[in-house]
Amino acid sequence: MAGNFWQSSHYQQWILDKQDLVRERQLDLQILSEEEYQKIGIFFSNFIQILGEQLKLKQQVIATATVYFKRFYARNSLKSIDPLLLSPTCVFLASKVEEFGVISNSRLITTCQTVLKNKLNYAYTQEFPYRTNHILECEFYLLENLDCCLIVFQPYRPLLQLVQDIGQHEDQLLALAWRVVNDSLRTDLSLLYPPYQIAIGCLQIACVIMQKDLKSWFAELNVDIDKIQEISRYIINLFELWKSYDEKKDIQGLLNKMPKPKLQPTR
Amino acid sequence: MQKYEKLDKIGEGTYGTVFKAKNRETLEIVALKRVRLDDDDEGVPSSALREICLLKELKHKNIVRLYDVLHSDKKLVLVFEHCDQDLKKYFDSLNGEIDPNVVKSFMYQLLRGLAFCHSHNVLHRDLKPQNLLINKNGELKLADFGLARAFGIPVKCYSAEVVTLWYRPPDVLFGAKLYTTSIDMWSAGCIFAELANAGRPLFPGSDVDDQLKRIFKLLGTPTDETWPNMTTLPDFKPMPMYQPNMTLVQVVPKSTTKMRDLLQRLLVCNPSHRISAEQAMSHIYFADINLLPK
Repeated sequence: MAGNFWQSSHYQQWILDKQDLVRERQLDLQILSEEEYQKIGIFFSNFIQILGEQLKLKQQVIATATVYFKRFYARNSLKSIDPLLLSPTCVFLASKVEEFGVISNSRLITTCQTVLKNKLNYAYTQEFPYRTNHILECEFYLLENLDCCLIVFQPYRPLLQLVQDIGQHEDQLLALAWRVVNDSLRTDLSLLYPPYQIAIGCLQIACVIMQKDLKSWFAELNVDIDKIQEISRYIINLFELWKSYDEKKDIQGLLNKMPKPKLQPTR
Repeated sequence: MQKYEKLDKIGEGTYGTVFKAKNRETLEIVALKRVRLDDDDEGVPSSALREICLLKELKHKNIVRLYDVLHSDKKLVLVFEHCDQDLKKYFDSLNGEIDPNVVKSFMYQLLRGLAFCHSHNVLHRDLKPQNLLINKNGELKLADFGLARAFGIPVKCYSAEVVTLWYRPPDVLFGAKLYTTSIDMWSAGCIFAELANAGRPLFPGSDVDDQLKRIFKLLGTPTDETWPNMTTLPDFKPMPMYQPNMTLVQVVPKSTTKMRDLLQRLLVCNPSHRISAEQAMSHIYFADINLLPK
C-alpha cells in the first residue's frame, strides 16, 4: 500500500496529538513517572526486537509489531493486558500482515521462553507464563483496539530514497541512519509524526554523529524544520536516557511497580 | 453481535460463511462474514487479515465497504455493505440477453474500482463474476479481497495458484511469479467478453493445458517476437503454434468495433503490453458512458 500515506488509516487515524497521548496515559502515570513509563516501553520494544531477530523476521515486520504495541498502549493502560503477552502477539499479527508467513504458535512460545531465559533473565526470573490460547485471545483484543488498521508505514523506505538523493556511496550514512530509525522505535515518534519526517530526523542525527555537513541539502527539502527538530530532540533524549540508566539493574523494580492485570495466568 | 439480526445464508466465502443480516438500530441490511478459526495455530487466518487491512485502506464506491469487525468469544465477524447479488447470479437471471448499456456501465465500474486498487498498489488477483457484487442501483463493487495483496518494492515472489483458471492470464498459467496489475487486466478482459455474451464464459478451460490452448486458439500462440521472455517462465512448455483463426467478432458476436478494440487491448498474452485500468477507462468505447442510475 505504498505511496498513499495521506489517504491511509495510518495518517487519518493514528497520527496522535502529544497532549492526547499524555492524557490517555494518566492512569499509568499516577503510578509511574514519565521516565519510568518510557523505560518500560524501551524494555518491551527490545523484547519485540530480540524475538523478531530470533525468529529471523525482517526489520519491517519487527517495526510494524513495535508500532502495534505502541498503538495499543496509546489507548490502554499497561494493566489492561500484560505487555509480556502483548509483545509476542504483536509479532504474531505483524508477521501475518506483512506476509512473512505465519509463525507457528508453538515456535513463538518456545522462542519467548528461550529469550526470557537466556537474554532477559535479569528482568524475569520466572518462566514465560503464556500459552497459545492466550496469544490467540490476545490477538482479538489487539485487532479490535487497533481498529483493524494494520498497514503501517515505516521510515525505512523514505530513508532509502533520501540517501539515494544525497548521492552514491553513502552506504555508511545509510547504515547509521537505519540504526537510528531502529532506535526511534523505542520512542513515541511513530505515534506522533509521519514516517518520512522521522526518516529526515534520523538522517539528520546520523549526519551529526558522522560530522557530515549536509546543511544545504537539508535546506532544500520541502519540510517543516521545526518538526524535524522536535524529532531530533526525541532521539537525543532517548540517547541520554540510555546513557544515564542501567536497565539490567533497574528493570526488575520497574516491572514490579508496573500496573498489572488483576488476573495472572494460571498454568 | 446483538446489534445484528441474522437473516439468510448468502454463501460460502474464501474463509467462512456469509450471512445477510439486519442492523437492529438502523434497520440497514448488511452482509456478515464469519471468519472460521479452524487452524488453532494460525489464529485469525492471513486471508481474512489481508482482506481486513486492505479494505480498511480502500474506500471507493466500486469497492465493497467493510463497516466493522466484531469479535465475540472465539469468533470474528466482518460486517460488510450488502449487495443484492453477484455478477454470476445476475448472469443466471438474464436468459442470454443483456443491454449493451449495462455492459458498458458494469465494465466501466469494474475498471474504475481496479484503477483505484492499482493506484494504491493493491492487486485483486482473483477477479471473477462471483467476486463482483451488484446492487439495485446498478452499482458494481469489487469484493473478496482474500487473495489480494499490497505490492511494492522490494518485489518478491507471491504464491502461484491464485486465480480461478478461467480468468487466469497466460503468464500466470506458465508459472510467472512476479505479478503486476496486468494480472487483473486480463481477468477484466475475460469478464468484459462474458458480459457482452450475457454470461457465457470466454475461456472455460478444464485444466492448465486446456486453458492455454483455448487462449492461444483465439489469440494465436505467442512467439519470441510478440513475447520475448515467455520461454523463460518457470512452467513454460511449448504449445502448438495456433494461428489466430477465429476473430473476436465470432467469439463476441454482438460486439461493436470499439468494444472489440478495447477487448483486444486487454486480452494480450504478453503482460507488459496489456492496457492499464486507467488507460482503459479513457478508451473511446466509454466516450458516451452513461452510468445507469436505475
